Amino acid sequence: MDLYLGVDVGSVTTKFVLMDEGKNILASCYLRTSGDPIEALKEGLRYIEKHFPHDGEIKGVGSTGSARHLAGIVVGADIVKNEITAHAIAAITRVPEVRTVFEIGGQDSKLIIIRDGVVEDFAMNTVCAAGTGSFLEHQAVRLNVPIEEFGKLALRAEQAVRIAGRCTVFAESDMIHKQQLGFGKPEIVKGLCEALVRNFINNLATGKTIEDPIVFQGGVAANEGIVQAFRDFFQGKKKIIVPPEHGVMGAWGAAILALEYAPEKTSFSGFEVISRQFESRSFNCEDCPNACEIVILKEEEDIKALWGSRCGKWTPATVRKRWEEKESSEEPLQREEESLVEG
Amino acid sequence: MKATFPHLLHLDIALGVLYPALGVEIITPPPITQKTIEIGVKLAPQNACFPLKVTLANFIEGIELGADTIFMAGGVGPCRFGYYGQIQRIILEDLGYNVNFVLLDHPRYGIRPFIRALQAMAGGRVLSSRVIKVASLAWKILRFSEELETERRALRAQVKNRQQLDEIVEGALEQLRQVNNGESLQAIQEATRKKLNSLERKEIEDLIKVGIVGEIYIAQETKINFNVEKILGDLGAYVHNSVSTVEYVLHTLPFTHSQEKLEAWKLAKPYLKRFVGGEGIDTVGSTIRYAQQGFDGVIHLYPFTCMPEVVAKSILTTVSKDYDLPILHLAIDEHSGEAGLVTRVEAFVDVLERRKKLNKRKLEVS
Repeated sequence: MDLYLGVDVGSVTTKFVLMDEGKNILASCYLRTSGDPIEALKEGLRYIEKHFPHDGEIKGVGSTGSARHLAGIVVGADIVKNEITAHAIAAITRVPEVRTVFEIGGQDSKLIIIRDGVVEDFAMNTVCAAGTGSFLEHQAVRLNVPIEEFGKLALRAEQAVRIAGRCTVFAESDMIHKQQLGFGKPEIVKGLCEALVRNFINNLATGKTIEDPIVFQGGVAANEGIVQAFRDFFQGKKKIIVPPEHGVMGAWGAAILALEYAPEKTSFSGFEVISRQFESRSFNCEDCPNACEIVILKEEEDIKALWGSRCGKWTPATVRKRWEEKESSEEPLQREEESLVEG
Repeated sequence: MKATFPHLLHLDIALGVLYPALGVEIITPPPITQKTIEIGVKLAPQNACFPLKVTLANFIEGIELGADTIFMAGGVGPCRFGYYGQIQRIILEDLGYNVNFVLLDHPRYGIRPFIRALQAMAGGRVLSSRVIKVASLAWKILRFSEELETERRALRAQVKNRQQLDEIVEGALEQLRQVNNGESLQAIQEATRKKLNSLERKEIEDLIKVGIVGEIYIAQETKINFNVEKILGDLGAYVHNSVSTVEYVLHTLPFTHSQEKLEAWKLAKPYLKRFVGGEGIDTVGSTIRYAQQGFDGVIHLYPFTCMPEVVAKSILTTVSKDYDLPILHLAIDEHSGEAGLVTRVEAFVDVLERRKKLNKRKLEVS
């Protein structure tokens, strides 16, 4: 059986999808990145290995998400694509007549306009965190509500308090103010959901025509309070679909892109990757005032990849040479090790 | 007198040939780096546009190397470029730098002060045949440095070895610094063109074509705009940039005109009749020209809060619909993050590729 693997490493969560040739999801997982994408990748691979069919063979791997390049190197991706394309293709596969995609993740949110099964326009919010999952999570902690319960709590509210949602800092002080006026948690949570929706629309949808059906995906789509707030915003006039796979749409999209790309021979590293040791190291290049932070992905002594060199002078070969020169100049190796900050 | 000036792509190469020939000692500010940006952000008003901050930092870095005179140009109209020189002069004064600030304002503000400033910038010389000769050589160098970038943008997606392309262009730019007469310039031009022509090309069907429009500084200065044109080229797009210092100068000088700009202004007329400052009209006109030339998409680059470009941006929404041309707007300032920008540009190229395939299929069916 020919199988395709999709990996989506985001700022907050890491997602894996194992898919067959018919684009059916055989196994998927949704994990916390917890600031350690390499460990999260290994954990995801362990899960996929456990659910791997006996007669299966991986024919292609796709990676996406903000750590798509790292994931691509560690897992061995045949195609590395941005999140917008990956999310769009998954939404089109799931709901072929889709015309708009809302995606709200941990650190960014996206609006994708689709016409005739092709992306026509998109907007992405990366500067402001007010419209994203992290914001909600932070506020949930403040209110002492488990994030899983957040949405349900909002649905219990009979009315919403209006909370300024333009900026996380203002939202927070406004929320505290409303708490002190004596509003209950459900009302405040509902107010927060509505603020996030207003923020999403104001930031991303300006000048764009939102037509239904709308597919709402990403981690935040699991929050019924937000889904309801979107429905209320459109006064129930637009059809909003939350697919059951909403959490892993990016990874699914990456798998579909790998299938479309159809590599002759996959670069998949195999499940042995789980037991291999990867490590990120970095140093600051001091050759010019740009002071680029060069990040190196190492496996044992092997340099697997390197990022951050603006002028392009640092490549695995030049870094190796630098290390060798340092070693042969009889300078204690320790000094070099000290200047390396663990990434 | 030791004069310094702001960077704008390869302007320093032409000025580096012009001034020594006029007997004016100049100090080229160090290349724009993260440190330059930090200096500008720290010293300029927070709400000033990004080019003001970076050019101010160029002056400071130049002064630190020993410059005592600043050469700066001024803009015209509703664009804030009109007061860059004044603000920068006051900031430098407040910081306690004792420098002579020579501001070449737009001739529209008076031809006399314009000529006076021009004279001061030529080391007090009057217009002699010698001055004209070196000025025309510097002009040709500026032109050729822009031509080199035009070639690089166009070829990046098409050549097999991109590093080789970079080496040829960078090498030629370095050589231009040593030019002292028309013959040596011509020799470099011919040798470079030959090298570029002999680069091995890939066979590409349906090359994606992307045009760049926007504000003169942000759209050109690759050290500030995250080198969007390189990102596009690496993604396999043919790139053309409508913004050029040469055209700007031709358009600004009292006795010359820029054919390209006149054409763009004419094209923009149905959408924008009034001069809105900066490159507002040019942005609209050049976008329409790209649409007519069959480009697949346009990237609009401008400083965050730039008024003329914000006017152009809202008009471009209509242009985009009328001509069915995707446009990606990128506002750049010190807070712009590279990761978000790259993701957007990548997604934009994906959109253009998928659209192109779909349109082709539609044509085949019909």
